[in-house]
Amino acid sequence: MDFDFFVQQLVNGVTLGSVYALIALGYTMVYGILKLLNFAHGEVYMMGAFAGFGILSVFGGALSLSINVVALIAMMLGVAMLGSGLLGVVIERFAYRPLRDAPRIAPLISALGVSFFLANSMQLLFGATPRNYNTFDLANASLYTKGFNVGNVHVALLRIITVVAALVLMMLLWFLVNRTRTGKAMRATSFDREAAAMMGIDIDRVIVFTFVLGSALAGAAGVLQSLRVPTTVAIGFVAGLKGFTAAVIGGIGSIPGAMAGGLILGFAESYAQGYISTKWSDLIVFSILILFMIFRPQGLLGRADIRKV
Amino acid sequence: MHARKRKGAAALAVLAIASLAIVASALARADVAPTAVAAPNASCTGAKIGFMGPITGDAAFIGKEQLGFSKYAIRKLAAGKVKLVEGDTQLDPAQASTVGTKFAADASILAVVGPAGSQEVLAVSPIFKKGQRLPFISGSATRTSLTNGSIPNFFRVVPNDSVQAPTTAKYIRQILKAKSVFIVDDQTAYSKPLANGVQANLRSGGVKVTRNSVNQKVTDFSSLVSKIGDDVNVVYLPWQIAANAQIFGQQMKEQGKKAIIFGSDGVDSGDFKIPGSYISAFAPDIRAIKGNAAFVKGYGAKFVSNFGPPMYVATQAAVAAITKACADGDATRAEVQKNLKATFIPKSILGGNFQFTARGDVKGAKFYIFKLGAGGKKTLVG
Repeated sequence: MDFDFFVQQLVNGVTLGSVYALIALGYTMVYGILKLLNFAHGEVYMMGAFAGFGILSVFGGALSLSINVVALIAMMLGVAMLGSGLLGVVIERFAYRPLRDAPRIAPLISALGVSFFLANSMQLLFGATPRNYNTFDLANASLYTKGFNVGNVHVALLRIITVVAALVLMMLLWFLVNRTRTGKAMRATSFDREAAAMMGIDIDRVIVFTFVLGSALAGAAGVLQSLRVPTTVAIGFVAGLKGFTAAVIGGIGSIPGAMAGGLILGFAESYAQGYISTKWSDLIVFSILILFMIFRPQGLLGRADIRKV
Repeated sequence: MHARKRKGAAALAVLAIASLAIVASALARADVAPTAVAAPNASCTGAKIGFMGPITGDAAFIGKEQLGFSKYAIRKLAAGKVKLVEGDTQLDPAQASTVGTKFAADASILAVVGPAGSQEVLAVSPIFKKGQRLPFISGSATRTSLTNGSIPNFFRVVPNDSVQAPTTAKYIRQILKAKSVFIVDDQTAYSKPLANGVQANLRSGGVKVTRNSVNQKVTDFSSLVSKIGDDVNVVYLPWQIAANAQIFGQQMKEQGKKAIIFGSDGVDSGDFKIPGSYISAFAPDIRAIKGNAAFVKGYGAKFVSNFGPPMYVATQAAVAAITKACADGDATRAEVQKNLKATFIPKSILGGNFQFTARGDVKGAKFYIFKLGAGGKKTLVG
């Protein structure tokens, strides 16, 4: 195995990690605000992927596309984020809000229920047949053949689009959370929900906004991943688990942590597949999760949960 | 304070382990033991043939063509006396078990055509062997050991992998003159033994073989593709899902890999169309066989793969066996199985006369090699 191989796995890892990071952000934001593990988040990602496919179909599909490729991808991302964001609002309103004061296990079970409901409803509506964006057929395969080279390693335009889009979305999120009033309200709610309410912050609004943001990012992740691999109604479960793992590795509740966790997970998966075996990659990835749980449960960038006795 | 922190961590750990357990149980579904099947009564009124195939899912392309040809056979040969009952298996052994249990319990089903994959045949064979044995004929399962005598009620209308492996290896070695081959199995009961067979044949011929494996559910092959060395001449993919092979080919192109892809019979469908690739097929292109013009015209619909026509022959054999068993107004599954063993179809659409061997294989069957051109157009080359 030479240096080119190492670089190629790095490229693969960054691409995969960017997608995982976007999914992990949704988990971490919701956990930060509500202390809830939103296990329906993977299905929101799946819905985003399907929304992207819907837009592609509306404009004629890959082989007979009626608009510019860049406009198409922008539109797919926009619609997927909007649709997923709305879905996040609906999930919060009907599955979690009624259980906000219930024991923590209740919304967790509700989350699993929503996950199964969405996956099975989609299967009923659209069947189990995979939907392929067929991006290879877009613009004479230029998304695959164009790009730049690092030594002998070709970095395809499709991967650049994935990484750059994810990076832009993460920077926007960072700006929103750290430099706006709404972001300040989110941070205050995350720190102490009751105190934030007493200071006049509309908690319901903040929670809904958090769901919109997290779900929109998951929707974007669904489109970005489906640009490279086909999508099915079953992709949400594993993607959700990987996003959750990334969030835990980074430190659940920490936004930079989710970004770092996603990238670490992407690298781990890619290098495990490259240097060990594709058969063992998931085992290795989830072993990392267990090791973190044992030796650093607060994750890489999470805070230790200090409470007064 | 620390106790609470530990509690929180423990709760998260439990959740993580529970999540893993769910994944593990989902993956293990395929190994679930079949439940007991009620023994059906002998019946001939409203006799039915059960169809098992991947009508939806990753391999829907195959299932739809298989179903089309099965329906065509019923329409053309059964004269309204035998009906077809559809069962969607999604190429999943667990789904196949569910469909198989339903079929075995239905006394009016006297034979089954399908399932498509070898792993599905292995999953349903214990169900179909129980009580009154339900004879079943696969139109595409090629794992060699399926006809070693352990499943006496199983038949297939296609040659097995003891023919496919040497045919493929010989072509790669002698015609493509490959010195280094990269083999990736898809971890199924079909793929692994076939990959082993081709690998053994190539190595015995002095060809360097690099072996890899990837789960059938995986669709991002980037890391695997990176492993293909510059010296590799041929990448052999004994897979069942042609769409996955297509993505593999596209990702090879993305990474600038020049090796030729050689797919097994499983990727012989319209979903795989990388120009310059090769595929092996268990049936000839029936359109090229003299005397089939009227048959093809009668089918009407377009078909791309070689998966459909063998299912016509499977259904034809089942209809004939049931019709013969019902001649006295009554039929049992045992009679149908006995009649299937004696099947003789003169001038079959697959070319020549069709007969089963004592173990349920096809007499004198062979594999064919096709080269793919632009748009997936197939040319017979071996």
